[in-house]
Amino acid sequence: MKVSRFRWLFGKNSEFWPTNMKTGMWAWVGHRLTGLVLVAYVFLHLSFLSTASMGEADFDSLMEVTSQPLFVAMDFLLIVVVIYHAMNGARVVLFDLGIGIRHQKLVFWIVMAIAAVLIVGGLWALWDVIFVPAGGGA
Amino acid sequence: MAERRIATTKVAGTWAWFFQRLSAVLLVALLAIHLYVDHFMDLGSHTGDEPLITFGSVTARLDQLVYVAIDYSMLAMVLLHGLNGFRTVLFDFDMFSKRKRYVDMGLWGLGIGTLVWGIIILFPFITGG
Repeated sequence: MKVSRFRWLFGKNSEFWPTNMKTGMWAWVGHRLTGLVLVAYVFLHLSFLSTASMGEADFDSLMEVTSQPLFVAMDFLLIVVVIYHAMNGARVVLFDLGIGIRHQKLVFWIVMAIAAVLIVGGLWALWDVIFVPAGGGA
Repeated sequence: MAERRIATTKVAGTWAWFFQRLSAVLLVALLAIHLYVDHFMDLGSHTGDEPLITFGSVTARLDQLVYVAIDYSMLAMVLLHGLNGFRTVLFDFDMFSKRKRYVDMGLWGLGIGTLVWGIIILFPFITGG
């Protein structure tokens, strides 16, 4: 398979070349990438839960690992991905209902502002778990 | 691009579009409940001696039928939404949109199989080990 076959996707004249992409295209690309990440995560999530079938101890020792700061930091990244996908998705649903269809860029930045507030809220809630070392008081 | 997008909509179908929107709205509500109840509600009073989520905590939550119903509904909606979205991505490529029947069969199989697997996964928690 020749590399040139993918020029429509990656070439300088392609619609996916960064300087050729406008706000709506970024939103769309972001929606797809976060969507794919989330589908992969669902299967990871189920496989983690399935350790319960091997017994209570197996599940609890896995939960010991996943409650470490590094894993909670990855949980935070996960909720960033979820919030982006949900908020941009809300925008798509609004357009399908005929709401804001003439102001797509404005609606994008409004939903992104809401997303930013939710992300800050999530970081605030998880801050102690990620950054405060265990065993130090509590 | 416009031509390709119209073609994709034609291949994917109106029902796929409709259920994607319906499951999206339901998922936002279910996910809000899931995140709050499973991960945030007890975070403030949590001592840090053991993980927030343990076999015991999940068993206690799933002792209430409403949470079993919420978890299973969420699983079904996530699979519908996730695999339907993946289907849309696949259909943007000729090699898959030309083989719609096989893509559909594969995704239905994967979806139903995963749904059954996911239902079984919670049995140890529901029965309490």
